[in-house]
Amino acid sequence: MAWIALVIAGCSEVFGVIGMKGVTTGKGWKALMLMVLSFVISFSLLSYAMKSLPMGTSYAVWTGIGTVGSTITGMFLYGEQKSVLRVLFIAMILAAALGLKLIS
Amino acid sequence: MNRSWIYVFIGGLIEVVWVSGLKHADSALAWIVTVLAMIASFYLIMKAASRLPVGTVYAVFTGLGTGGTVVGEMLLFGEPFQWSKTLLIALLLAGVVGLKLVTDRDAQEGSGA
Repeated sequence: MAWIALVIAGCSEVFGVIGMKGVTTGKGWKALMLMVLSFVISFSLLSYAMKSLPMGTSYAVWTGIGTVGSTITGMFLYGEQKSVLRVLFIAMILAAALGLKLIS
Repeated sequence: MNRSWIYVFIGGLIEVVWVSGLKHADSALAWIVTVLAMIASFYLIMKAASRLPVGTVYAVFTGLGTGGTVVGEMLLFGEPFQWSKTLLIALLLAGVVGLKLVTDRDAQEGSGA
């Protein structure tokens, strides 16, 4: 159950980012609602998952789904650049964040 | 450095405040600061996301928040210093700088930011 909550939390984070993009492109209060609700759901489910899973693991999975999901969304939904270097640098940031949370 | 990147960096720094707040806040004032910091950091990264690719902004924002929180824990909350953590933070910063360089270069070439 905690794992299911964690995966849904990661996916809601991506919806939060889609809402964020909507706000910046003038989609108004609906996008703002999507963003706020998604992040609230995401944080709540993350903290629920952390009660039964190790904190480092939960955070790593959550932020991994969020970062990879937003990058893919950006590339395929909003036509952001798909360069190898860009993917490499995002992977570096993700690897470092995962490592930090797993050893902490 | 253009203004949008400054917003991402300040937003990431303020994220450290509310992440620490979620963990350590124990008074009404501390919780108010935590919530205000949350609003301020989201406001700044939204401003940044209107100019920069949203995937880039989000990766840098969460990365800086994570790295900054680890540094903050070591400096302020007495977590032990570890070389492995320091190396990972260096890797993280290298990723951020690299991402900034490729994003700015592509923006200048006009091939979409």
